[in-house]
Amino acid sequence: MALSLKVPAWSIGVLLLGQVLTGCASNSTGSSASAPASNASAEQIVLAIGGESEEGYDPTLGWGRYGSPLFQSTLLRRDENLEIVNDLATNYTVSEDGRTWTVTIRQDAQFSDGKPLTAADVAYTFSKAAESGGLTDVTVLEEAVATDDYTVELRLKQPQSTFVNRLITVGIVPEHAHGPDYARNPIGSGPYQLVQWDEGQQLIVEANPNYYGEAPGIRRLVFLFTEEDAAFAAAQAGQAQVVSVPQSLAVQSIEGMKLYDVASVDNRGLMFPFPDEGSKTTPDGKPVGNAVTSDLAIRQAVNYAVDRQALVDGVLEGYGSPAYGPVSGLAWEEPNANIEDANPDLARQILAEGGWRDSDGDEIVEKDGLKAEFTLLYPASDSTRQALALSVAEMLKPVGIQVNVEGKSWDEITPLAHSNAVLFGWGSHDQTEMYNLYHSKAAQGDFYNAGYYANQAIDQRLDLAMGAPSEAEAIAFWQAAQWDGQEGFTAKGDAAWAWLVNLDHTYFVHECLDIGQPQVEPHGHGWPITANIASWTWTCN
Amino acid sequence: MTTLAPPQIRASEKQSNRRQQTLWTIGLCAFFLAAIILSTWVIGDAGLSPVLTQRNQPPSLAHAFGTDWLGRDMLTRSLHGMSLSLRVGLLAATVSALIATLLGLAAGTLGGWVDAVICWIIDVCFSLPHLVLLILVAFAVGGGTRGVIIAVALTHWPSLARVVRAEVLQVNSSDYVQLSHRLGRSPAWIARHHMVPHVIPQLLVGLILLFPHAILHEAALSFIGIGISPHLPAIGIILAESMRHLSTGYWWLGVMPGLLLLLSVKAFDWLGENLRALLDPRTSQG
Repeated sequence: MALSLKVPAWSIGVLLLGQVLTGCASNSTGSSASAPASNASAEQIVLAIGGESEEGYDPTLGWGRYGSPLFQSTLLRRDENLEIVNDLATNYTVSEDGRTWTVTIRQDAQFSDGKPLTAADVAYTFSKAAESGGLTDVTVLEEAVATDDYTVELRLKQPQSTFVNRLITVGIVPEHAHGPDYARNPIGSGPYQLVQWDEGQQLIVEANPNYYGEAPGIRRLVFLFTEEDAAFAAAQAGQAQVVSVPQSLAVQSIEGMKLYDVASVDNRGLMFPFPDEGSKTTPDGKPVGNAVTSDLAIRQAVNYAVDRQALVDGVLEGYGSPAYGPVSGLAWEEPNANIEDANPDLARQILAEGGWRDSDGDEIVEKDGLKAEFTLLYPASDSTRQALALSVAEMLKPVGIQVNVEGKSWDEITPLAHSNAVLFGWGSHDQTEMYNLYHSKAAQGDFYNAGYYANQAIDQRLDLAMGAPSEAEAIAFWQAAQWDGQEGFTAKGDAAWAWLVNLDHTYFVHECLDIGQPQVEPHGHGWPITANIASWTWTCN
Repeated sequence: MTTLAPPQIRASEKQSNRRQQTLWTIGLCAFFLAAIILSTWVIGDAGLSPVLTQRNQPPSLAHAFGTDWLGRDMLTRSLHGMSLSLRVGLLAATVSALIATLLGLAAGTLGGWVDAVICWIIDVCFSLPHLVLLILVAFAVGGGTRGVIIAVALTHWPSLARVVRAEVLQVNSSDYVQLSHRLGRSPAWIARHHMVPHVIPQLLVGLILLFPHAILHEAALSFIGIGISPHLPAIGIILAESMRHLSTGYWWLGVMPGLLLLLSVKAFDWLGENLRALLDPRTSQG
């Protein structure tokens, strides 16, 4: 017995020794990596950037909803300046009433199986996506009709200025080869075709010989799906040429690799339940509302008390920027909605004016016997959100707001997300997301408008923006919804959220690999960098 | 036992010295462990709050164990985590000892089908890998910190129960117990008056040697991320977190809490061994 019970005493020693050895090992690779034993060339590179789609690669079910579907090509796309340019489409027009989009497509496009891509495939893709009601939201589509081989008409139920984003993100699937197992065997007209997918491990793709555009500079890509620290180690060992790393690792350097620090609208913020506690429930009976965060003074005080720049410097190691709204850096951002934050005094003043006072001397303010205390949930697997949640809680202590931070899995967060503050992340090139985060009709018991924010005036502006005939004409309405001097959903107005930071996406890229000019990236873990992957080139021999 | 160091064999020539030495070791280990458990009340929660300006600082006078990626004091975190582990260990060891005594006594004294059933239960528990059993129980009772505590408390008794049963069987076959049977004493009376005094030394040592098991299993469960929020100070979480930062050269995040865990577990081991030497010197000298 004594012997068997002795085992753990030294086994932990072994564990410890193992840790020390790993530490030494990785340090030594770091210093001896002057010439990474790289087997990369224009023939093949290895990418460890995450982004595995567990549901597979079917655009009608939501693959590529943030853009760059890789296997498929889209009608339009955004270039590095986020301008909309043609891809499959050669031209598109919108009718007077904004309800009919007529798109003509190029005639030389082929799927990777050699069959031509016609207007019928486009019509099929859009009808299918509307039918499946997946994550790509095309519910506004009434019907899609191919009027001839290379012209397709998309008829909408009502005008929608954001519909152009569907043309940018929905990859076209072949009608003849689309079925239930398509998600595992995608065939498309994109720059690359699938060779092999070992779920949870790797995805191997090869240049599509039938691609209509310029042939990709790299023939074969291997996507490794590993943890971030394993990816970092792979980069140090010269086994991966493009690696997305968390900001905390970006301060390191790897010889033979360059750091790309790409701005993004991948934001993080605190979502507040808007209604009072117990005022309603979600369709499936989950509670909605929170007595503390339903108070405007609390929400505004949080917004003004938080030191966003300190979060950027401390949590993101400087690789990020403060966020005051959900669309920082995009053309439809309202710059006047920004506030002077890191101002605890103003926060205390707002609380005092709102009737919150510390009457019992416990350094937490109260109002009518209610303590200014709420729970903040963050997904346990995400260390950045954990750090943000803990830091925000610390910053709110001095103004008298007690935040109880709890890490849970998404499954546990989902039923609690309408009655507790949650640290969410969003960020898209598509304004529909802003609509869904703030429109009262979007609050249906899922993550869209999880806090059940509702303001008729804001709803109206969002509807006007959505119904505008074009993206450009909608911008004024999108901005007015954020802040127009009197009203808005941002901090100066209803402060429905406390947006915190925009992450910069950080990548280590091999010196010999030219990845061009990355665009301002949307939410999405690493994958957005593939937006221009067809034009990457290997510059060494 | 063979694992005891030679000095103790030499020391047998000077009985008083060895006895003193044993007592000293017991005292020191007990003091060290009690200090860890009580430390959280002394140092408070102040070091657990993030201080973003003091991130990733190596060990210094102000922060003996350094600070982590959020500027939290690693000494405070480690002590809080270790204290939680020790308390979980204490609970688990106590519950296990109770279950083991009850089942061991019942199996040994009642014999027959009771013995068969209890042996079967013990065998079933042994046949499952312990960590798998822990995870199953932790999930079954709803996860969270509570789940971890219940799982650790409920799964550590089989080995001890088996030892108690063997001891009881041995005592049961001795003459005076047979005589007691013939005199018409009930099994319960015999268990209380003849068995328990014999079992107690074994139990005490077994209980203490269960501690490291329970602590390591608590650490293992929190290491793989079951239940406990990852920002709370549990020793397993701290070690798991340190793995992420090893490639960056922040060695103190793993080494210092690891050493603390190693020392605590070893302290229990010494405590158990020396207590055995004290209570049962005959077997201790081999």
